[in-house]
Amino acid sequence: MSSTLGQGRVALAALSGVLLLGSACVSAEEFSFDASEFAQKTFEFSGFVEQKEEGLKLRSGSPAFKLAYPGEPGRDGLLRSSSTLELSGKANLGDFVLDARAQASLADDALVSSTRKPSVMEGGLRWSASPGLSFDAGKRVQRWGKGYAWSPVAMVERPKDANDPQASREGFVMASGEWTKSLSGGPVSTVSLMGLVVPTDGSMNRDFGQSQDLNPAARLYLLAWDTDIDLMWRAKGARPASFGVDFSRNLSPALEIHGEWARTLDAPRTTVSASGITSSDRVDVDSYLLGLRYLSQSEVTWIAEYYRNGAGYSAQEFDAYYQFLDLALAPGAPAALASQTRSVAQSGYARPNPGRDYLYLKASVSEPFNWVYGAASVSTMVNLNDHSYQITPELSYTGFSNWELRGRLILLAGSARTEFHEKTASQRLEVYARYFF
Amino acid sequence: MHCAMFEALKISEKSNMKFLKLIALSALCAPLLAFAVDGVAILKKLDRNLEPESYESYRKLINIEPNGNKKEFVLFSVKKGKDQTASVFLQPASDKGRSTLRQGDNMWMYLPSVGKPMRITSLQSITGGVFNNADIMRLDYAQEYDVASVDEADKTYTLHLKAKTAEVAYDKLTMTVDKQLILPVAIEAYASSGMLLKTLHFKDIKDFGAGIKRPAMIETDSPLYKGYKSVMLYSGLKKRDFSDEVFTQGFMPRLEELRK
Repeated sequence: MSSTLGQGRVALAALSGVLLLGSACVSAEEFSFDASEFAQKTFEFSGFVEQKEEGLKLRSGSPAFKLAYPGEPGRDGLLRSSSTLELSGKANLGDFVLDARAQASLADDALVSSTRKPSVMEGGLRWSASPGLSFDAGKRVQRWGKGYAWSPVAMVERPKDANDPQASREGFVMASGEWTKSLSGGPVSTVSLMGLVVPTDGSMNRDFGQSQDLNPAARLYLLAWDTDIDLMWRAKGARPASFGVDFSRNLSPALEIHGEWARTLDAPRTTVSASGITSSDRVDVDSYLLGLRYLSQSEVTWIAEYYRNGAGYSAQEFDAYYQFLDLALAPGAPAALASQTRSVAQSGYARPNPGRDYLYLKASVSEPFNWVYGAASVSTMVNLNDHSYQITPELSYTGFSNWELRGRLILLAGSARTEFHEKTASQRLEVYARYFF
Repeated sequence: MHCAMFEALKISEKSNMKFLKLIALSALCAPLLAFAVDGVAILKKLDRNLEPESYESYRKLINIEPNGNKKEFVLFSVKKGKDQTASVFLQPASDKGRSTLRQGDNMWMYLPSVGKPMRITSLQSITGGVFNNADIMRLDYAQEYDVASVDEADKTYTLHLKAKTAEVAYDKLTMTVDKQLILPVAIEAYASSGMLLKTLHFKDIKDFGAGIKRPAMIETDSPLYKGYKSVMLYSGLKKRDFSDEVFTQGFMPRLEELRK
C-alpha cells in the first residue's frame, strides 16, 4: 500500500515535472526576440483613427450660443459625433528624412455638420549634417516653453488648448537650423541654438499674419546647473517683437518647478464698452507662468500653474463685453451692432483663456486601485479675476494594445457675466476611442 | 641619571610590548585580509560584464497580467559613458517615437504628440505595469550604488548595495552574483522604508558576440503587482560609440534614426 502511494507520488512528481518543463518550453518560445525585425526601414507608415462622442448641455440663452449658432432656436442639449483619421509617412534617406502627417475629420450634430478635408498638419525635409547640426524646411510645429497648460513664450506656434494640452496641433511653414554642443567640466553641459523664419505673404501662414514678412525668431537653450534654460526672441514682422525666458528644474526626485516670462512690444489690445464703443491701444505686454509638478508618496502627480496673461481682460472688461453682447444680440437690436459682435470677439475676447490671471491644478494617478494601464485625473482651471471655473474629471485606459480609451466630463461654473459661465455649454461629456496602427 | 635611564627602559619595554601585540593581531587578521572580498571591484566587473560602457541594444518589455494577457513594448536604447543614456519606443504603435533621455540625475520624456521634452522622475512608470523609468534608463550599478557589505557563499556573492543619492529609484539592492561568471542571478530592490518593491531574476545567458556574454532575459515580479510579471528580453546588444550631442534634448525626436 505504502509502496503504491510512493509510486503514485513519484508519478505525480514526474507528471508535474513534465508539465512544468512543457510550460517552460512554451514560455521560451513566447519570449523569442530578434532585433533585426526592428532595424530601420526606408519607408515607414503609421497613424490613428478616432471616434469621439460628445454630449453637451447648452446655455441656449447665452451670448456665446447666439454667436456660435446665429438664428438657431434655443435648445438644452446636443449630441455630437466626430471621426478623425490621421496618417503619417516617413522616408529615411540617409542623412535626409522626408516626412508628413495629414489629418481628415468629419463632425456631425443636430446644428452643424462639417467635413475637414485631408490637410497636412506637419511635413517637410530635414537634413542632419551631424548629430549636433540639422536643417529643416516645411510645415512644422514648434513647442516652446515649459508650461503644461499655457506657454507665454510660445512665439511661433498656434496656441495650445489648455483643456487638452497634449492634443496635436497644426504647424506653420518655416525653415530652421539647429546647432547643439555638449560641454564637460563646467556648470553648462549643453548649449543649443535654433534660428528660424516663418514667411508670411498674405496667403502663406495666414493664421500667423498677413503682411509680407520673413518673421525671424531664435531660441538659445542651456542645460546649466542641472536646469533647463531657454532664451527666446521673435523679430517684429507680421506679429509684434517679443522676447522671453523659461526654465525647468528638479528640486528633488519628486518635485519639479518651471517658469516662463515673455514681453511682447507694442502689442495691439482692443476693448469694448457696454454700449459698443471699441478702443484699440498698442501696449508692451508682460506674460508669465510659474508651475510645479510633484509626485506624492501615494503616487499622485500634482501639476499646479499660475498664469498671468498680460494682454488679458479684467473682470470689469469682461462684464462690459457681456453687457455689449446682451445689447447687440437682443431681439430688435440694430444690424450694425449685431455684425460688430463678431469683429469684437475676434479682436481678443474669443481667444482661448482671454482673462488676465488663471490657476490650473491637476491631480492624476496612474493605475489607481491596481487598475493596471488605467489612469484617473481631475483638473480645474480658475479665472482668478472673475472667480469662474471649470472642473474636469477624467478616466483613460491603454491596456488593449494600440488602443487608447478616454472619457471626461467638463463642468463649467461661475456667476453671470464671467468667463466660464458665458461659454456655449455648461457641461460636456466626451468619450473617445483611438486606434493606432 | 640612573632613574632617567630606568624610566627610558620602561617606556621602551612598553613600546615593544605594544609592537608585539600589533604584530600578533596582524598575524591573526592576515588570513581575513588576504581573502576579504572587494565588493566594489565585483560590482564594477559585473557592470562591464552586463554591458560595454557605450553600447546600443534592443529590448522587449512584456507585461503579463494574471489572466495571461500580455502587453509588449520594444525599445531601442543607447548609452555612453557613466551617466548618459537614451531610449526610444518602437512598439506598440500607440507609443512609437516616445523617447526618454537621462544625463546623470536629469531625466526627460518626449512624446511625439506633445512635441517637447518634459522633465520626469526616476520613480514614474512610462510603460505601466512593473517597470518604471529607472529600469528603462538604468546606469551602471557602481555609478548609483555603494557596496555596504558582501556575503560569500560557495557559488555566489551577495552584495548589499545602498543608493548613493536620494535621486536613485531604489534605496537598497540585495544582489546575488554568480561567483564564476560575475553576473547577477537575482536582485531584490527595496524602498527606503525597507519595503520590497520588486525582484529581478536574470536568466538565459547568451553570447552576444564581441566578448559580451550575459543574461538575455530578466523576469521581474513585484509584491505591489500581485500576479503580474514582467519580462525584459535583450537582443542586438553591441558596443558602439556615439557623439555626446546624441544625448541632448534636441536629438530626442531623432533617436530612431540611430538604428542601422
